[in-house]
Amino acid sequence: MDTMTNALSGWGLWIALLGACIGTYFCRAIGVFLSNSINQDSEIFRWLAAVTYAMVAALTVRLIVMPLGLMATVPLWIRILICALSIGVMISKPTRRLVPALLTGTLLMVSYGVMR
Amino acid sequence: MSSSDQPYIDPSEIPLEEAIAQRFKSPSDAFWTGMRDAAGAPAMVLFAGMVGFGAMGKTNGFDVWFTTFTSFFMFALPGQVVLFEMAITGSSVLAIALAVTLTSTRFITMTVTLFPQFHHKDRNRSLYASVHLLAMTAWAISMREFHAIETKHRLGYFVGLGLLCWLISIPGTILGFYLAGMVPPAVTLGLVFINPLFFLLTFTEVKPWINRIAICLGCIFGPIFFIVDRDTSLLSAGLVAGTLAYFIDRKFLRKKAGLIG
Repeated sequence: MDTMTNALSGWGLWIALLGACIGTYFCRAIGVFLSNSINQDSEIFRWLAAVTYAMVAALTVRLIVMPLGLMATVPLWIRILICALSIGVMISKPTRRLVPALLTGTLLMVSYGVMR
Repeated sequence: MSSSDQPYIDPSEIPLEEAIAQRFKSPSDAFWTGMRDAAGAPAMVLFAGMVGFGAMGKTNGFDVWFTTFTSFFMFALPGQVVLFEMAITGSSVLAIALAVTLTSTRFITMTVTLFPQFHHKDRNRSLYASVHLLAMTAWAISMREFHAIETKHRLGYFVGLGLLCWLISIPGTILGFYLAGMVPPAVTLGLVFINPLFFLLTFTEVKPWINRIAICLGCIFGPIFFIVDRDTSLLSAGLVAGTLAYFIDRKFLRKKAGLIG
């Protein structure tokens, strides 16, 4: 396979993992470092919370609307329909309904995979 | 909620703090409650996500050690997926490290929003170790629960929560690696879908309007920035949408305009 000949292998792969681990930990450590100088009631706290929620929302919508690999084989309207139904289950009761909602979405996706 | 390093200015705050204190008797109580809170749906979801990741490692020809080490040392699913995708397509080591770091920038804001809520006595160098346990799951639960937990027990609760999430991801990855090829594609499809769905569902529990607006704007800007520039899209979409939400909140929603904390 072409992809296999291009793929990183041996030491290169492990060095890439090392770089990825350092980069990931660096972001966590920088957060700890900065958190010492930021009061949670300050304006910058409100701004950073908004930025974080926006970033996670961007990641989520990307995973649902523009997925890579296997999920991309599912039509967009099916993905969105299943999300809408799961949210419907989630908000149908004000108390925790996370597990029923998650099971609804996951089982619907598996059912689609079985039926297609 | 009063900041931990401020003395009680208003005496009426003292009974409130005592009422909250009754939730946990000791730090170990907080720790085990954190573990129990993680042991339900969040751990199940994370476990499923890690199983999916392990399966991805197997189907792409990585060995079990490499796949497991990724979960153990990175413990950040989006970054792990980016690492694998770029390694398969033969990107350079530097490009991989940079791209993964960019997907992890969300940890900076997550830490900065969560860690100032710990008791000031807990805010020492040991946090540089506990921060590895921070991920989307533990962050979302902590942000939701911390207001009802006394400040001195928050770290214990967080470590219990995060530790279970981290430890469960290792067997999840290994299981997924060996399951791959054994489960039908329909089941794999369900496993791949569980992570984004979980993130989406947690958004319905967000209460402050500033953060709700940020989520809506993030959903709009995310795909747009992804088309413009894939590697930096999360960072740029988050910054633009979050800043916009902040100013909308500040100009129109806040009753006391011009209030600076």
